Amino acid sequence: MAKVLMKGNEAIALAAIKGGVDAFYGYPITPQNEVPEYLSKHLLANGKVFLQAESEVSAINMVYGAAGAGKRVMTSSSSPGIALKQEGISYITAAELPCLIVSVMRGGPGLGSIQPSQGDYYQATRGGGNGDYHLIVFAPESIQETIDTIKESFDIADYYRNPVMVLVDGLIGQMMESVDFDRPKKERFVPEKDWATNGTKNHPGRRNIANSLYLDPAELEQHNIKLHQKYEVIKKNETKFELIDFDNPEYVIVAYGTMARICRSAIEMLKNEGIEVGMIRPITLFPYPEKAFEQIPENVKGILTCELSMGQMLDDVLIANNGKHKVGFFGRAGGMLPDPEEIVGAIKNFNERVVK
Amino acid sequence: MKNITFLTGYYGSGKSELAINLALKYKVDYVVDLDVINPYFRTREQEKIFKENDIEVISSDLDYKMHIDMPYISQRVYIPFNNQSKRAIYDLGGNDIGAKLLRQFEDYNDVDIDLFLVVNVYREESNTKDKIIELINNIEGKGGFKVTGLINNSNLLKETTIEDISYGENIIKEVSDYTKLPIVYTAVWEKLYSDNLKFLGKIIKLKLYFRKDWL
Repeated sequence: MAKVLMKGNEAIALAAIKGGVDAFYGYPITPQNEVPEYLSKHLLANGKVFLQAESEVSAINMVYGAAGAGKRVMTSSSSPGIALKQEGISYITAAELPCLIVSVMRGGPGLGSIQPSQGDYYQATRGGGNGDYHLIVFAPESIQETIDTIKESFDIADYYRNPVMVLVDGLIGQMMESVDFDRPKKERFVPEKDWATNGTKNHPGRRNIANSLYLDPAELEQHNIKLHQKYEVIKKNETKFELIDFDNPEYVIVAYGTMARICRSAIEMLKNEGIEVGMIRPITLFPYPEKAFEQIPENVKGILTCELSMGQMLDDVLIANNGKHKVGFFGRAGGMLPDPEEIVGAIKNFNERVVK
Repeated sequence: MKNITFLTGYYGSGKSELAINLALKYKVDYVVDLDVINPYFRTREQEKIFKENDIEVISSDLDYKMHIDMPYISQRVYIPFNNQSKRAIYDLGGNDIGAKLLRQFEDYNDVDIDLFLVVNVYREESNTKDKIIELINNIEGKGGFKVTGLINNSNLLKETTIEDISYGENIIKEVSDYTKLPIVYTAVWEKLYSDNLKFLGKIIKLKLYFRKDWL
């Protein structure tokens, strides 16, 4: 398959098929509707499962069941829909089941708007569900990167027995790009799913159970410790980021997804004016690339966090920076996209932007 | 291009970009946005450019029309049919589903209109002769109007080369030979444009209005 022109949401769907998805369960919501639209046509035609559930709550619990049975399962939704799925996501994570959750963010809170936003950073990285758990969260900045990530995501989820979330905003879902689906995928070890609740044929006498209920506190604590140790391994192995123009920066921008694209243009504009600005672009949001911040030169005048939200990733930047540099913030919300000129202005007037 | 011209095509084929470019080139009186499929990148978002060029945009007349995906359009869409001395470009939503909206103009089937199919062969559902012909049949069946011309808009956005456009032309030419529909325009992105280009139909020098520089 040579290069094709694809809309982000269609590309998400086709990449999931290339990644080996067996089943999709979901419920429509703008701006991600082309994902189920595409899958409804192509999954069913290939003998796989596509099901539009009666609600998001229902869909995520179908994901829970099918993931428990050892299949490669996914769902996709947008902000309020992902909010409805949080209970199920916590259960799936607690039961250590792999799945792919695609979140195409729109303006919030509440019903908000259907325009692009990054207001669900907390929801993705802090969890809207209960308990000590984490999703592995990828935040690609282009359709090509989204495709490459999704193709690999089932292997990652299977390996760690943990849900992977691919977090993009509505713009990446709706825009078009020329893309290549045949780029090589990282080879990963994918273990046998001997835990799957798919009968006892392969292990007579042993019934597998998918469970998140541990009534004995000592046992539940051990389960929490085990999950925690898994997250530590994930932090070590899966943290991903990109450093841009890091030769001798005067300022450093931190931005992900669509905002990183806008900042790339701003950095070019600033360079033409003789102001060197570098960028840390987190590709995983959990684990957060704290190590990247160690590479910021001592003499940098400040770090500007740029988000399509009111200062959520800012928390992780402050933790990673650990008081070393001045940290400033620039954000737009509610579906508003800034022009690169606004970022240029924020760097030029950095002192007005300082938070801490 | 007749006074009333509809643009149809597979979704993502570039209908809205072409609608703007054709509207400005031919200084039409109205652009009618009939897209009830997409939530983003609709012709109505470019209202400012149209206003500057004295082109009236007819779309939804609901409040917040820019930011909702309600399948609602204004009854003003009939104005060009009732005043045929004015020129109008109608931008339909994608596929046969978008073309369904043509049905509301059935009572005006004595009016001579153009219905042009915009084709980008780099969209996977319109990348062969057979798929394009199937799309034409579906659009004509659902919409109740005959396609009258083909537009070659084969592109990979900013990665497009002249060879890519020629490759598209070869496929669309096969469709044209089979259906006897003419290729009326070939769209060429302004950065690839030069005066000595040879393509079938008139060449439209395409400016990308929806694509911000940072995209």
